[in-house]
Amino acid sequence: MTNRIIETDSQEAFIEEIEKVQDVLPKRIDANPKNVEKGLAKLVLTLVELIRKLLEKQAMRRIEGGSLSEEEIEQMGETLLKLENKMQELKEIFGLKDEELNLNLGPLGDLM
Amino acid sequence: MKIYAYGIIDFHNKLEEPIEGLEEKGIYNVSYRDIGVTVSELNEETREITDTCILEHEKVVERLMINFTVLPMRFLTVFNTQEDLLSMVEFYYEDFKNNLQRLFNKVEFGMKVIWPADTIKKRIIDVYHKTKHNISVSIDSPAKTFVKEKFEKHIIDKEFQEEANRCIAVVDDYFNKIAVEKKLKRLQTESLLLNASYLVDKDRQNEFKQAFEQLKNAPSDLKFLFSGPWPCYNFITLTKKPSSVDYFNTEDMLNRLLAQQGFAQERNSV
Repeated sequence: MTNRIIETDSQEAFIEEIEKVQDVLPKRIDANPKNVEKGLAKLVLTLVELIRKLLEKQAMRRIEGGSLSEEEIEQMGETLLKLENKMQELKEIFGLKDEELNLNLGPLGDLM
Repeated sequence: MKIYAYGIIDFHNKLEEPIEGLEEKGIYNVSYRDIGVTVSELNEETREITDTCILEHEKVVERLMINFTVLPMRFLTVFNTQEDLLSMVEFYYEDFKNNLQRLFNKVEFGMKVIWPADTIKKRIIDVYHKTKHNISVSIDSPAKTFVKEKFEKHIIDKEFQEEANRCIAVVDDYFNKIAVEKKLKRLQTESLLLNASYLVDKDRQNEFKQAFEQLKNAPSDLKFLFSGPWPCYNFITLTKKPSSVDYFNTEDMLNRLLAQQGFAQERNSV
């Protein structure tokens, strides 16, 4: 098409952002005999992380709504803190970074 | 010999003009009922999606668009045999027909917007601390400190998302009335406020471009990347459950094209 326009006054900034979007996730779980353990750990930890984040979000909504007592907040905080520490531990064991715990769901976008 | 597919077209006869595709092979039309799949032969057993492949694919699709409505296929869509190809077309025939009708005389425009995320976040944090929108717990344990920090992040993130939505609504308003359909991806990164694809009638292209000019000239601290017209890469919708292979919009085709086409080339030449 000869009348194509690609117009911007901030080319470098957009290149950087496009590359971030493209590079952020592998298209599939990389599981082969050499790294099957890590591949599976990545998948399992991604799902655990999703559930952890959902729990955390729900908890914050309840605090925001003012429906929790100080004691309940204390208990909830302890649970969330332990869960986060345990996740951190597992990520270190399997050599996974935060940004790796995600899945590309194609047209649906990213899991998290 | 494998078969490389470029797109589905609303034409089932032999192509009149010669078009060259990948590996300098001629494009031909494999017909099924009243539609066709434009293909060329492919020698190699397996291939990576190279820059050359993407550009050649795009070139073929654009050439086809001059005369036909095209459903551009995903880069590197390869079939082992013509029977495999035809069974795919047979399976999706109704979907293809509907899409060809819907996308008749339409083109796609891309619109990306970067906003000053750091400045906005800082402003939100300042307001948060000033308004003391805080959780009312006495901080006497690690668990409560943890909750307090998480709560602060939750409120700031929420406000950040709301601010993004307000800003996106303003931008989208410039194009909304002109576009037939749109796909808006919000905050793919903190800075990339909006990555939008708009489907526009060919007859309204100039109107759409003018809308961008107006947006660009309006005072704001946003940065824009406007591109098009493109083939309708991001507007093909299949109602039938896709098989294990996705043939169409499984990824942001415009991102890939921008990265590989003008943008990558210009950057490499610097």
